[in-house]
Amino acid sequence: MLSNAKKGLIADIQRASLHDGDGIRTTVFFKGCPLKCAWCHNPECISFEPEMMHYPEKCIGCGMCEEGCFSGAKVICGTEMTATELFLQIRQDKDYFMQNGGVTFSGGEPMAQKEFLLQILDLCRAEGISCAIETSMIYFDAEIFQKLDFVMADFKIWDTKIHQEYTGVGNEKIKDNFMSLNQLNIPIIARTPVIPGIEQEIPKISAFLKTLDSVKRYELLPYHPLGKQKRDALGITQEAFSVPDKEYLKELQQYAYIR
Amino acid sequence: MLTYADRLQSMRKTKIEHTIAKKKQNGHMDLDDFGTVPIPEGHCVIPWYNSENGSFYGYDGMCENFVRLIDAHEPYIDPMEMLCGRWRDMLVNYRGDLHYMPDWLKNNKKNMEFIQKGATAQWSKRWDEQRFPYDDLKPWQKKYNITTGIDADAHFACDYSIGFALGFGGFLEKIETYRKINPDKQAFYDAEKRCVEAIIRFIERHIKKAEQMILEESRPEMKESLIRMRDVCKNICYEPPKTFHEACQWTAFFNCAARMYTRDGAGYQLDTLLYPFYERDTKAGVLDDETAKFLIANLLLIDPHYYQISGVDEHDVDMTNKLSYLILDAADSINIATNLTVRVHENCDKKFLEKAVYYLLKNKNGWPRFCNDKALCEGYMRNGVDKKTARERIAVGCNWMCVPGKEFPMNDTVKINIAKVFEEAFLEMKEDAEKSVEKLFALYEKHLKKAIEITAAGVNLHIDHVWEVTPELIMNLMMKNTLETGLDISQCAELYTVGVDGSGLAVVADSFGALVTRIEEEKLLSWDDVYEAIGNNFENKRVKAILQSAPRYCQGGTISDAWAIKLTKSWVKLVKAQPMPKGRTLVPGWFSWARSVEYGKTVGATPNGRSAGEPLSHGANPNPHFRTDGAVTAQANGIASVQCGYGNTAPLQLEFDPNISIENGGVEIVLNLILTHFKQGGTLININVLDGEKLRAAHENPDLYPDLVVRVTGFTAYFATLTPAFRQLVVDRFLEGM
Repeated sequence: MLSNAKKGLIADIQRASLHDGDGIRTTVFFKGCPLKCAWCHNPECISFEPEMMHYPEKCIGCGMCEEGCFSGAKVICGTEMTATELFLQIRQDKDYFMQNGGVTFSGGEPMAQKEFLLQILDLCRAEGISCAIETSMIYFDAEIFQKLDFVMADFKIWDTKIHQEYTGVGNEKIKDNFMSLNQLNIPIIARTPVIPGIEQEIPKISAFLKTLDSVKRYELLPYHPLGKQKRDALGITQEAFSVPDKEYLKELQQYAYIR
Repeated sequence: MLTYADRLQSMRKTKIEHTIAKKKQNGHMDLDDFGTVPIPEGHCVIPWYNSENGSFYGYDGMCENFVRLIDAHEPYIDPMEMLCGRWRDMLVNYRGDLHYMPDWLKNNKKNMEFIQKGATAQWSKRWDEQRFPYDDLKPWQKKYNITTGIDADAHFACDYSIGFALGFGGFLEKIETYRKINPDKQAFYDAEKRCVEAIIRFIERHIKKAEQMILEESRPEMKESLIRMRDVCKNICYEPPKTFHEACQWTAFFNCAARMYTRDGAGYQLDTLLYPFYERDTKAGVLDDETAKFLIANLLLIDPHYYQISGVDEHDVDMTNKLSYLILDAADSINIATNLTVRVHENCDKKFLEKAVYYLLKNKNGWPRFCNDKALCEGYMRNGVDKKTARERIAVGCNWMCVPGKEFPMNDTVKINIAKVFEEAFLEMKEDAEKSVEKLFALYEKHLKKAIEITAAGVNLHIDHVWEVTPELIMNLMMKNTLETGLDISQCAELYTVGVDGSGLAVVADSFGALVTRIEEEKLLSWDDVYEAIGNNFENKRVKAILQSAPRYCQGGTISDAWAIKLTKSWVKLVKAQPMPKGRTLVPGWFSWARSVEYGKTVGATPNGRSAGEPLSHGANPNPHFRTDGAVTAQANGIASVQCGYGNTAPLQLEFDPNISIENGGVEIVLNLILTHFKQGGTLININVLDGEKLRAAHENPDLYPDLVVRVTGFTAYFATLTPAFRQLVVDRFLEGM
C-alpha cells in the first residue's frame, strides 16, 4: 500500500476524455486496487507496484533490453509522481474544462492512495478545477468525498458471496459506504458493469440505489474486452467473458435511471 | 410533383456520378473538387500560342485563349436544378506544361498533337522565363525546397458588391468609360472587353439551351423551372442581378468564368452580401425560405468556393442574420464537399455557432470549418492596417484570408520547407569538430534567413511581372482600381500583404527536441551516432527508436513544445525582418497545404526518427501518434502556442471521432473545444468529425464510398479521389476518441 507515501503511483493520464464524467476531462489512472475483478478492463491498475508490459510485436530485435527499451516493446506501467507534477499535467487542459469538465481520478482505486489524493485534490480545487473520482466504494473517507464535485461509484454484484468470488472482497462494506456517502449530499453516479454469465441481480442493486437520494444517475456499463491486450502485455490469462448482447442490455435498461 | 428534397436527392446522385466519372478521366487528385463536371466526348480547344516557348502570355494571349476555351464550353443545365452553368476545363491546361495537364487532356490525341507541336521542353510554360528568367534563384529554391509563388495565379478575392452593382453590361460600360481616360491602356481594355463579351455569350448559350429544353420537357414543374431559369439568365445577361435567384445565378456564372480562366476565384461573405436580395424578395412575397435554401444548396453544388458566414462588422456588431441560418440548412440539405467557414467572435450569436457544430456532427462531412475573428483581425492590424479593413479580411481560401477587392496576398502559393532548411544546417555542422544544438540552431537561422531572401526575390519577380504573363482578366472586373486605371490587380492593389508559409514545423521541433534530450541531456547517443544513423537512413533501428521516443511537440510542456515556440518566434522574426519594396510586406504562417507528401520526398532522414522521404508533418499539426491518447486538447494547446500573430493562419487540422452523440452533449463539447482554442489565440480550425470505422473501410475500398467527404487541408475533397498516399495521411492524422 502506498497510502502514506508522499508520491503517487500513476498508471496513465488520459487527456480529453469524454466518458469519465461530464464535459471534457483529464482522467488520472491511479495504480493499485484492493479489488481483483475478474473482468477488469484496467488490469495494469490492479498491482500497487510498477509492472513491465510486453508488446512483442513492437520489438525491433536490438538485443539491448537491459539498457532500456525504446521501441515500445517493453513499457513500464507506473510512474511515481508528486502531486505538483501531476497537477502541472492536469492544468494543461484547464481552459478546456470550462463549466462542466474537470479531472477524474480513476484507477485502480484512487482512494487507496489517500494522502496523495488529498494533496492533488487540494491543488486542483485551489485552481478551480472540478474534481471527481471513480471508485469501487471499498473505502469511505469523508475528508476526500467532501472535496469532490461528484462521485462515480461502482456497485458490481448484489450477493456478497458472488461479489467475493469475482472481485476478491465481499460487498457489505460497499453497501455501508454507499449509505454513508449518501449522507454527505454529494451527487453520486452509480454504475454497474454488465457481465453476462454472472448473477449480478441488477434489479436489487437498482432498488437499493433508489433509496439513496444522492444517487442522481444509475448507469449500466456493458462489459467490453478492451482490457485483453493489456492482460496479454502483463502475461495474465483472463477468465472468458462475453460482451452482452443488445437484447439483454435492452431488458436491463429499465433499471437504469436519471433523477 | 417533385419536391425540393426529391430534386436535391437527384442532384446528389448526379454529383456522385460525376465524381466517379471524373476519377476515371483524371485518375486520383489530391485537390479540391472545384465543382467541375466531366469532360464530354469531343471537347476540344485549339490554343493560340503567342510565345516562342510554345505558350501564351499577356493580355492578348490570355484573352484569346480564354475566349476559345469558354466558347468551347457546352452549356450545362440540369432541370432538377434552379441554377445553371458548370465549368470543366481551364486555361492553364493549355500552357504546354505536361505535369500540369490532366489525364483526359493527355489522352486527347488531337489536342496533344497541337500542344506538343508548339511546345519546347526548354522552359517552364506557366511562367514566361524567356522574358523574366530567374535562373539565379533556382539552385537556392531547390536547396530549400521553396514553393516560389512565381507563376501562381489568383489567390486573392473579388469584391462581389462591384459585380452585383454593375452586372456584365455594366462591366462593358465601365471599360468604355475608363478606356477614354487611359488611352495608353487599349490592350488591357480590349482584352477585358472580349472576356466579358465571351461570358455574355456563355450565358446566351444557356438561354438557348433552356429554350430547347423547355420545348422538350413534358413534366409541368420542370418546364416551369426551366422557364424560370431561362428568364433569370436573360435578366442577368447584361443587367445586374435584382433578385435573390438572379444574384445566385450571377455568382454561378461569374465563378464558372473565373474558374475556366485559371481555376481562379474565391467566395465572399455569403450571408451579408446576399441578404439585401433575400430581404427584398421575401418582403415582396416572391421568395420563400425553402426556395432560398434550395438556391443556396444549388450554388454550393455548382462550386465549392470558400464562403464565409457570420462574424462581426467593423463595430464588433454581430452580422449573423436569418440567411446565415438558411445557408447552414441549405448546406445540410445538399451535404456535399462544401467550404463554408464560420467566423467566430465573442459577440456572435451562440445559437448559430451551436447549429454550425450540430451540422458538423450530424453529417460528418467536414463542414463547416471555423476561423477566429479576434486573432485574425488583431493580427492583421499588426501589419499596419486599420480595423475596418482588417475586419473586411474574410476566409476565402484553403487556409487563407483576403480583403476582397483590395488585397493581392498570393496566399497559400509561397512556402518554405523548413525541414529542408534544417537538413542543410544539420549537414553543414557535420564537419564541425564542436557540435551542439545551439550551434545547429544558429546555422538553421542562417539558412532560413537565406531561404526567406530567396523567397522574397521570387515573390517580387512575380508581382512585378505577372501582369505580363498571367494578367487576371476575369477577377480584375471586381477589384478596386483595375478598370479605373487600366492596370492588372497585381499592379494596383491597395494591399500587398504577401503570405509566406513554413512547412514541417513538427518534424523540425521534434528533431531539435530529440537532439537536446538524447545527446545533450541524457547522453544516450553521440552526435556521431546520430549522423551515422541519418546518413544510412536508420539502419540501426535502435537509434531510430531512441530518437522517435523522445518527447514530442503537442505532448504538452515538453522540450519539443518549447522548440516549436522557439521556431515560431524565429520564423516570424526573420520573415518580418525581410525588406520588401513598393509597400509590400511578408506575412508569416504555418501551412503546407496538400504538399506534405511531396515535401517529405525531398528531405532525408531527420533526427526525430523520421525515415528519408516520409511525409512531413502537416501545417502546424504534430507528427502522427504524438500522444497515445491522441488528445485533441493537447494538439489544440500546442497549435495555439505556435501562432504567428500577423493575421495569417497556423490551422488546427483535426480529424477525430468524438465517440459522443449529439444527444449526449456532443455539440457543447465540440463547440467548447473550438471556442477554447480560439480563446487561446488559434486562428483556424479545419475539422473533420469522422466515423473511424467508415474511414478505415473507405481507405481499403474507396470506390465503395464515393460520397465520403474529408477536409484534406483547408479544402474538402471526395476521399475516393485522393491518392493512396494522401488517404493514408488522413487516416494517420485521425484521432480515435477524445
